Amino acid sequence: MSDRVPCAIVFDRLCVTLGGRRILDDVCIEIPAGGATVLVGPNGAGKTTLLQCLVGKVPHTGRITMPKRLDVGYVPQTLEVARGLPLRVAEFLALGLQRRPLWLGVAERLRGRILETLALVQAESLVDAFLCDLSGGELRRVLLAQALARDPQLLLLDEPDAGVDVQGERRFWEILTSLRLARGFTQVMVTHNLPLAAHYATNVICLDGRVLAQGPPRQTLTAPMLFTLFGVPIHLYPDQCETADPPCPECGALAAGHEAPTLLPLACPKRWAVGDLSPTPPTEPCATRPAAAQEAS
Amino acid sequence: MTDFATWIYDIVGLIPLECLEADFMRRALLALLLLAPMASVLGVHMLHQRMAFFSDAVGHSAFAGVALGLILGVSPRLSMPLFGVLTGLGIMALSRRSTLGADTATGVVFSAVVAFGLAVTSAKAGLGRDMQQFLYGDVLTITGPETAFLGVLSLTILAFQTIGYNRMLQISLSPVVARAWGMRVALWQYVFALLLSVVVMFSVWAVGVLLVTALLIVPAATARNLARSAGGMFWWSMAVGTSSAFIGLVLSAQEWCSMATGATIILVASGWFGASMLWKRTLGR
Repeated sequence: MSDRVPCAIVFDRLCVTLGGRRILDDVCIEIPAGGATVLVGPNGAGKTTLLQCLVGKVPHTGRITMPKRLDVGYVPQTLEVARGLPLRVAEFLALGLQRRPLWLGVAERLRGRILETLALVQAESLVDAFLCDLSGGELRRVLLAQALARDPQLLLLDEPDAGVDVQGERRFWEILTSLRLARGFTQVMVTHNLPLAAHYATNVICLDGRVLAQGPPRQTLTAPMLFTLFGVPIHLYPDQCETADPPCPECGALAAGHEAPTLLPLACPKRWAVGDLSPTPPTEPCATRPAAAQEAS
Repeated sequence: MTDFATWIYDIVGLIPLECLEADFMRRALLALLLLAPMASVLGVHMLHQRMAFFSDAVGHSAFAGVALGLILGVSPRLSMPLFGVLTGLGIMALSRRSTLGADTATGVVFSAVVAFGLAVTSAKAGLGRDMQQFLYGDVLTITGPETAFLGVLSLTILAFQTIGYNRMLQISLSPVVARAWGMRVALWQYVFALLLSVVVMFSVWAVGVLLVTALLIVPAATARNLARSAGGMFWWSMAVGTSSAFIGLVLSAQEWCSMATGATIILVASGWFGASMLWKRTLGR
């Protein structure tokens, strides 16, 4: 008898072709129940398409095995909120909770539940705010609240932390993790925030049209894998390095951006931008980089 | 049925206005009081879904529908709504199944049906004159059976708004989320396109092809300025649409006014919209 965590969802040889272009090719994935699975990969890697396959929006071949009558929550990348639409946050959450049409008002019995759900994402003060007036971070938390209000067993999130400031991003991940642990739902999330994914995810899938790696973050978010995915040297785990990162000799910074705080400073990002240097793949993680950095300087 | 209709007309006749003493005026008022609320509340969804152009395309298909009816020997009052419904469903199918955006798909169908209508009418002498009433609309020519059909349509739209208002709003905000919740997004969109097409074709009779979009959009746009909630937008839209229809009909029947009914209705609705803009600006929203 295996002691593995039972799988919530299994993708078996999934292929998606859109407009004559193969988006996903022979994708085989196991998503463990109750875990925080994160999909990483460059733009156009098929991450969002994979989520949309789960809700039946994209035609595909291959098989997706998941429990029938699964309650699914979805936090979209964007929301089509027209300017000036007088939709209040309470009404937005009620959309998924009540059969009664909104023109008859939000059911009084739901008011408490809506406030409780907003409190979970620290947004109870926004209950009467208009959706179109929310900031990026507030909107993300309200979108999460709408998905959580239906008490989903499977929560899909498509770059829910995009466009949010550093503090807001971390806060979002913390809220999400504590809720997942408390409620036990299975989380599948697309993100570009590699450090936070390494910290909070339990399972990572590296995707670039096909699956390049899947497993725990430490085994998948390695420097060679990230170089293969993104084409730039990124390392997330200091213990994979033989020496500490030297600062950029030109600007003195260790990081080129918060999304990749330990991006190797082969040269000042300003010089990268004009294409003075092309990065060297860290085939042996970190060991060759000081030399490369010296060479660059 | 006849007794029921007489009873309804008698009730309309209780309104103490001299212009409503004539039967055709009572019938016109009843038709407008049924049509305007339907158009207004469907306009709310049109605004949410950014489909303002849709009603223009379906409305303009009236020419082709009438011309086809006259050529095939079918009553234009039947061929026109049927062709309008086909046009509406065609637009929805094209925008859903192709990579074209909704506005491009609507534009393509719009051009095709207008060109078809003009080609047919220009090829048959004398047909152009019959088209005038569809260009400007004439609610005073609506017949009793058509008013009865509008009554049935009102009940259908009421059922759609009761079951589908939340769903349609969620679909307009995020179709993917709607799908994740198990909603049949395509079905709802097609049903909406069907009902909207029927209402548009009746609106063509009331206000004409040129103003049909205004009957749907202006009340909803006014409601967006005035409402303090998404639910409130429904009621404001209905109130603006219905009051504009009533005031527009009565005004157009006055001797000192004597303007086309459809145009007067839209002018009143536009007045409402102007006032709502001032109100919104006053509140700083």
